[in-house]
Amino acid sequence: MKARSVDPITLTVIWNCLISIADELGVTLRHTAFSEGVREGDDFSTAIFDRNAVMIAQGNFSPGHLGSMPAVAKTVMQYFPADTLKPGDSVLVNDSFIGAGHFPDTYEIMPVFIEGRVIGFVACSAHQVDMGGAAPGSQKVHGVTEAFQEGLRILPVRFVREGKIDEDILRIVLGNVRMPDKVRGDLLAQHTANLTASVRLAKMFNAYGVDVVERAYEAILDRSEANMRAALAEVPAGTYSFEDHLDDYGPGTPPIKMAVDITFDGKGEVEFDFSRSSDTVPAALNSYINYTRAYAVFAIKAFCNALEPQTEGTMRPIKLKVREGCFFNPKFPAPSGGRPILQIRIFDTINGALAKALPHRAMGAFSHWSNPNIGGIDDRTGRPFVMYDVSLAGYGGRYGKDGLEGMTPVMNCSNIPIEVHETFNPVRIHHFGFIPDTGGAGRWRGGCGIRKDIELLNSTATLSHLGDRHVFQPYGIFGGKPGALAESVLNPQGNGERLHSKETRQIKRGDVISFRLSGAGGYGKPAERVSEAISRDVAEGYVTREAAQRDYGWSLLADK
Amino acid sequence: MSLDLDSVDRAIEEMLKAGRETVAVSLLHAYANPEHERDIREQFAKRAPHLLVSISSEVSPKFREYERTSTTVTNAYVKPIVDRYLRHLDEALAARGIRTKLFVMQSNGGLISPDLARDFPVRIIESGPAAGILMSAIVGKEEGRDQIITFDMGGTTAKLGAIDDGAPAIMPTFEVDLVRYKKGSGLPINVPAIEMIEIGAGGGSIARDNKGMIVVGPDSAGADPGPICYRLGGDAPTITDANVVLGYISPDWFNGGAMRLDKQAAERGIKRAIADPLGISTEQAAWGIHLVATSNMENALRIVSVERGRDPRHYTMVAFGGAGPLHAARMARSVGIPVVIVPYGAGVGSAMGLLQAEPRIDVTATRVLRLDAERSGREIGGVYRELEMQASQDARRMSPGREPQWSRYAQMRYAGQGFEIHVDLPAGPIDDDYGQRAIDAFKQAYLRRHKFLDLEGSVEAVDWTLVATIRSNGRAVALGGRRDAAEPRRGKRLAWFPEVGGYTETAIVDRAALADGNRIAGPAIIEDPDCTAVVLPGDVACMSGKGHIVIEINSEASP
Repeated sequence: MKARSVDPITLTVIWNCLISIADELGVTLRHTAFSEGVREGDDFSTAIFDRNAVMIAQGNFSPGHLGSMPAVAKTVMQYFPADTLKPGDSVLVNDSFIGAGHFPDTYEIMPVFIEGRVIGFVACSAHQVDMGGAAPGSQKVHGVTEAFQEGLRILPVRFVREGKIDEDILRIVLGNVRMPDKVRGDLLAQHTANLTASVRLAKMFNAYGVDVVERAYEAILDRSEANMRAALAEVPAGTYSFEDHLDDYGPGTPPIKMAVDITFDGKGEVEFDFSRSSDTVPAALNSYINYTRAYAVFAIKAFCNALEPQTEGTMRPIKLKVREGCFFNPKFPAPSGGRPILQIRIFDTINGALAKALPHRAMGAFSHWSNPNIGGIDDRTGRPFVMYDVSLAGYGGRYGKDGLEGMTPVMNCSNIPIEVHETFNPVRIHHFGFIPDTGGAGRWRGGCGIRKDIELLNSTATLSHLGDRHVFQPYGIFGGKPGALAESVLNPQGNGERLHSKETRQIKRGDVISFRLSGAGGYGKPAERVSEAISRDVAEGYVTREAAQRDYGWSLLADK
Repeated sequence: MSLDLDSVDRAIEEMLKAGRETVAVSLLHAYANPEHERDIREQFAKRAPHLLVSISSEVSPKFREYERTSTTVTNAYVKPIVDRYLRHLDEALAARGIRTKLFVMQSNGGLISPDLARDFPVRIIESGPAAGILMSAIVGKEEGRDQIITFDMGGTTAKLGAIDDGAPAIMPTFEVDLVRYKKGSGLPINVPAIEMIEIGAGGGSIARDNKGMIVVGPDSAGADPGPICYRLGGDAPTITDANVVLGYISPDWFNGGAMRLDKQAAERGIKRAIADPLGISTEQAAWGIHLVATSNMENALRIVSVERGRDPRHYTMVAFGGAGPLHAARMARSVGIPVVIVPYGAGVGSAMGLLQAEPRIDVTATRVLRLDAERSGREIGGVYRELEMQASQDARRMSPGREPQWSRYAQMRYAGQGFEIHVDLPAGPIDDDYGQRAIDAFKQAYLRRHKFLDLEGSVEAVDWTLVATIRSNGRAVALGGRRDAAEPRRGKRLAWFPEVGGYTETAIVDRAALADGNRIAGPAIIEDPDCTAVVLPGDVACMSGKGHIVIEINSEASP
């Protein structure tokens, strides 16, 4: 055996053990969290770092937080060098530039010690239900022109000191948020989850010895980098470009151009350039560089090297070049609360470009997703409530497969059950189902949009809507048709007023908001769709007879 | 809100028209209020009494509509089959004058009565594997080993499970039909079950040539028509055929000689389907089939061990099922498991486990209670009085005249959390300070699990469970044992071991001839009527004092 190498079984066990610790960290967080977004929607992430804050493993959770992790940990180490930390300490940060691009995402990073020496860090992020600011949920887009309107900004602070929560810091936080019980519960859940992981990590180090584990870390980073380079080298060299548009950044505002130029050098590196995109916008929708990088990394992984566990090594060959001041690289204090809806759109834009290089791995554009917050004071309890919803619609058609419905696309979140919403918030959900004929026609059809009708059972509340694709349709590829546009309708049984996709307004008891998400784009020409598939769509209600005739020239007779 | 009976009638009409035989009913919030679901069931009883109805408030009275519905639909899906099967079995046993009570194993390792199994068949989905794991835990205990990987290979599938620190790994929910064993890719089932990975590899798995590569399974010739060598009409080569050709299975002593196998037919089949198309010899083709099947199972073994954080070097494999001990040594060697145990009765391992299991009734009520040290005792007492009535009834149905042993547990959390932890509640009378004792039990369990306590948080319980276990007097015998054979068979035959150059003269040992402490160096084949264990060159098998064969795996030998 070579002096510096680790035998293959030890390496495998350590690597899988790290991933399993990162996964368990997430499961603990989910199981101890208080907010619906974290405990039901899986809106969080986890990671494990070496003693220099180099990321070795991640749990399979939300990529936006995941891709930001390496940068967050290194910044935290600038504020708190390892020799200033003590066992039981933990650092809290939510700054949008340092973190994952908006205030609701709080990171907790905990050093792990063996015999008084830092041997690594465990970390998790979680989307808090509220961080204060202009509207419930802290994701208001329109009318928010600087980050200081978006709530409490926390630069790295020592939130836990030698095992004791700093009650003074906690009081500052809880005094600034609408849902102090849930935020407190989730911050403690993050701490609990880190503790669980730190115990397991220390146990692993004790079992194998610091030296062996650190040699395994080196091998993990080198291998994952080499594997990513090999995968990237297989993509034909060249520059691939694509453009799409966000509807706008609020009522009466212009579209935002999202443009990307992706250059593969054919030797194992790739560079993303988003500079041709619009400038930073004066509304809370901008994508900070950590967030832009996170989704670029995610897209490359999905296209080129999907099954490789993500480490900092896999991210090394992926470069970003983004003009400062551009929509995808704003300067603080650009507002950004509503940036969650960008995650699919950043991927879609990259997907459009990579379709030219890797046609069999690309898909029609996703439906968008809807992330509205409805909040106010619950009449029954006199306490604040925020209903944070995650509405997920369709995947685009893929080579060989139709788009799925009701699945989370790029962010690994889950549907929040109706029973959870109705039990914890003064709302009733009247309708939740597919909308036929909304998926883009194609050889492989795009997934249908989803409709969710929510009635307010409270005297009043603030709706802070967060959607898109009310103007620009999700594109189809290789001849596939685009998905149907989204609509948001207030009181469909009444006058059916159309709501803007990013507006904030007061609603009252009995108001029903009908969120109708866009359909996803198709793949390939509709004429190439096999007739059995069309008949099945008609029989199962995805496509009506009329639409089947119109889009595919299908008829019952032809089928017989 | 009242139930719209017209819409129920329309649904019943549609079901009748479509000729359905089973139906699942799942309404929002039925875990809290089951009335409408019960009304719907009554309406079915009136209008369509022949339909089997599963309602979510009984099958899985738990919060979260998707998981509850998926569990209820699964229950409805298997209900007609289990219903027919168990009814026929019961009648057939009665007709043969067998008067011992019939029990059915559940996925969690406890027994229930057949009528409960017919009502809730979703609880018995993993019953076979659960029994096998119970057996392995007992074998482990007898041999002083508490970290065990279980490997069960029969005619159609192979199953791998784990025992950590002596306790079978049990999950509160599980998923069926996973893709690449990934969490979230299957259908969630809200029923406690043993942790297990199943792959389509068994003695009957069919081998074929796929563009120059040998592919084995997941389709199986089963027992009928079975492998070619059975001469029952099977014409596709299987893993068993390959094992006969390789000399691992004796053609003359299969099933203790009750069945003769046709080795020549197996050779012809493998030559035709694999060797000729690939341009290799029949022996090489048979070896290829064996190797591909073994490596498929190795992948599953890696998931259950290394991928889930279990270091194989600290685990023992218990191998059973008709084909398990034949493939076990090679799999163990490839991942670094140092010891394989072939238990007494390995060929019928799950059945041995069944004999050890105890009748067990779990009754659960969902009642969200925020616990208060002073006031909660009475409420908890009320919940458990109801549960006890229900459970005593079931227990009497299962084992009349036997007093069950009671235990209690609850699913508890800090008020505000969305998931609960399992908390064993104290035994004894439920008096005024039981609330405080329940809170203490939660805090202990939470601290043990999460290493952290929120001193200000209030505690609530969601599900309350009462367990009635009926102890079996003296039925729990040791598993180890010995089959007496007047004239133990011994001999030699050629068997294929590539590490020593192919066909090699190999010792054949009758398991019945082994005495405590006997050691056999590989290559060797140890035969029992119900299974065959292969000992590889470099490994050593030893008969333990308990009657189990313990094979020490030489990990330095070539895999």
